[in-house]
Amino acid sequence: MLKTVLRTPLSTLIRKTLAQSISIQLLEENVTQLQNQPHFYTVYRFNSNERTRVFRNPQIHFIRNSELLGNSSGFCSSGSIDETSCCWNCKAQSPFLICESCGSVQPVDHSVDYFRIFGLERKFDIEDGSLEGMYKNWQKKLHPDLVHTKSKEEREYAAEQSARVIDAYTTLRKPLSRAIYLMRLEGIEVDEEQTVSEPELLGEIMEIREAVEEAADSQALNKIQSQMEEKLKHWSNFFANAFGRKFFDEALKSIQRMTYYHRVNEEIVKKL
Amino acid sequence: MSEQTGYTVASDTEIAIGIDIGTFQCRLAVWNGSQVELIRNTRNQKLMKSYVTFSDESPSPVGGVSNQLSHEYEMLSGATIFNMKRLIGRLDTDPIVSKASKTLPFLIQTLGIGVRPFIAALVNNIWRSTTPEEVLAIYLLELKALAEARLKRPVRDVVLTVPAAFSRFQLVRIARSCAMAGLHVLRLMPEPAAVALLYAQQQMPKNMGDSGSEKIGLIFNMGAGYCDVAVIATAGGVSQMKGLAGSSIGGEDLLQNTMHWLVPEMDSLFSSHGLEEIKSMGILRVATQDAIHQLSSQASVQIDIDLGNGTRICRVIDVEEFEEINKDVFEKCVSLITQCLRDSKVVKAEYIDDVILVGGCSSIPKIRQIVTGICKRSETEIYSGINPMEAAVRGAALEGALASGVNDPLGNLDLLTIQVNAHSIGVRANRNTFVPIIDRNTTLPARREMVFTTAHENQTEALIVVYEEVDDANQLLLGYFKVVGIPAARSGVPEISVCMDIDASNMLRVMAGVIMPGSGPRKPVVPLMEVRMPTADGGHGLCADALNKILGSNLDLVCPHGKLNT
Ligand SMILES: [Zn+2]
Repeated sequence: MLKTVLRTPLSTLIRKTLAQSISIQLLEENVTQLQNQPHFYTVYRFNSNERTRVFRNPQIHFIRNSELLGNSSGFCSSGSIDETSCCWNCKAQSPFLICESCGSVQPVDHSVDYFRIFGLERKFDIEDGSLEGMYKNWQKKLHPDLVHTKSKEEREYAAEQSARVIDAYTTLRKPLSRAIYLMRLEGIEVDEEQTVSEPELLGEIMEIREAVEEAADSQALNKIQSQMEEKLKHWSNFFANAFGRKFFDEALKSIQRMTYYHRVNEEIVKKL
Repeated sequence: MSEQTGYTVASDTEIAIGIDIGTFQCRLAVWNGSQVELIRNTRNQKLMKSYVTFSDESPSPVGGVSNQLSHEYEMLSGATIFNMKRLIGRLDTDPIVSKASKTLPFLIQTLGIGVRPFIAALVNNIWRSTTPEEVLAIYLLELKALAEARLKRPVRDVVLTVPAAFSRFQLVRIARSCAMAGLHVLRLMPEPAAVALLYAQQQMPKNMGDSGSEKIGLIFNMGAGYCDVAVIATAGGVSQMKGLAGSSIGGEDLLQNTMHWLVPEMDSLFSSHGLEEIKSMGILRVATQDAIHQLSSQASVQIDIDLGNGTRICRVIDVEEFEEINKDVFEKCVSLITQCLRDSKVVKAEYIDDVILVGGCSSIPKIRQIVTGICKRSETEIYSGINPMEAAVRGAALEGALASGVNDPLGNLDLLTIQVNAHSIGVRANRNTFVPIIDRNTTLPARREMVFTTAHENQTEALIVVYEEVDDANQLLLGYFKVVGIPAARSGVPEISVCMDIDASNMLRVMAGVIMPGSGPRKPVVPLMEVRMPTADGGHGLCADALNKILGSNLDLVCPHGKLNT
């Protein structure tokens, strides 16, 4: 299970507060009516003559927004009932993001981790190109652009699932964020802002920074960049090894180094 | 059960048409059931000039969809408004507007105080005021009538392509024009996204089940008013945008620069906008336009025109000179491409599989040189499967079919473009610093959150000022609101959470809430705020300054240490 992140995201809070306070049925009609408008059209309306109406009816304003958040009000946050063990539509057992037997999009199940979305084992090394195909397949089924013929409820599920697949893809694609995510799955939060205490690493970093600053041309920068790539590769391997053996202290140490080399690389790219 | 949720679409569902309104020209297209078809006007043209002429004779103004110009000069008499796409949603402090006011034959007055410019057309020697939105709406009405006549059905739903450089204000304004014309916008689609969709369709694997390998494409789209660059990764009918960059540069700039080179004193010469001056301006514009076209295929051109008032221009311009005059424009093209490649993490030009060059300026030799140069390939290696003048509108028509829920049994609509946002969006914090919350090139839909804190002891209110960064150093004010009721505490203690959400249709909402650290459940101490943006009108520059001056430092937000570095 995912360890609860310390900082409660605002979006979750909004979802919770709204789910409790407002009766959906009552305002459903208004909402559907608004939902059928394209968003830019409504932006236009609310910015001009319709503005007063919106302010007079703050509840509609809020509900509509909560729905646009892609939050199926009430789902995911309650956690008391296990809604996700069967398909909401055909009651087939253990549907995934989409029910295999009827094709309905399911509400987000946060116990499904990013690796499972891509059918991968929970480990650091992943094969090149193993994400792209699956990512695009999921998006074809879930992307908000393509599901508008489905019911309103299912569209909301799809919006949230699609956003989560994007998050999963961006997280797993880069080695550093993938490593941090793996640690989180183990219940270990990585503090990227943590200051370096090892004098040896500190010295090395200062040296590299100086070299970057003093680099005379792009050739010199390219050289440092390829050195950083080497180091990143080395510490990635180190991480994979340590993590595989559950040596989490070692794993953390390599993440810290990867973070620094990665930053140097970004600085170089800015200068190039 | 599943049938009830509606996977199929009734046959009478209206298929949205695709519209590509260019600064100079416009096209219409629609999915005809098996493919995209361009809609031609009564004179059998696929490309229609984007302009509207005001006159006393006809009851309503006529636009370039139905009207036939006997000569280009007719468009330059002062009675015709064009370049709407360049002018829409801009303030009179915008350099584009002030440049336009000096080079266009109709009237654009600027006060330079951050309000909307005054725009007027000359009818019977009277300047009659109008707005870019109104002109665009009149033009769109003509397009709507044309489409209805061709398709023999009412037309309401549309997908419109827009430049990547468009600010949120410009998007709102263009949507407003559509509403004025009775059109219902399903999507406002960045032009490169439309091109990407068309490309995705062309790259679709021929055998079902074969997802095909991923191809990296670079799209360079330059028309009369705007330039867009995008990097896309395409496989199995899905294009994921990796990077998107855009700028308000285009053929109109090349034209203006060249006009200035020919007549350096033209700004003062034409400033009064008298009948004679307008006529001279028209002559100069047409001659310059022709010369630029000819320079695409020949080394030099002779220009010999009589501007009246005894001013005769007789000069030869060659390609080198033309490129020197427009150095800034071409340099901007280079920087857009390199920035987009960098943002997309395409480190080597060799990684690009296809270079897709589209838009009205794509035939200019220097532009072709720049793009092929950066992408390290020869001219013959430019992707040839796409008609540069029809790419965007064809993509828009495909999106129209998708957005209308059309299913193609052959799988030709088994497509998707996953977009990114072109501009960073953030708030002002740390004493007047722009802090991005959603960075540019974030995949949409996106939601990002950042925690701020108070700047002062016992600060009970915080001002959330939201900006869109349209250029490196140019931020437009989208709106602002106050978070009130922050419990008295030492500075740096309350957590002020700001969350930004852009949904798949590109609508932006900003949410804010306050949480006090400490024991007990972490819940907001005051009701959360949720604001749809933009709320400000037209990115009012003065308003942002006033906000800063009057409220700025008292209601400041501060980033907790280090947060900026992540
Ligand atoms: Zn099912």
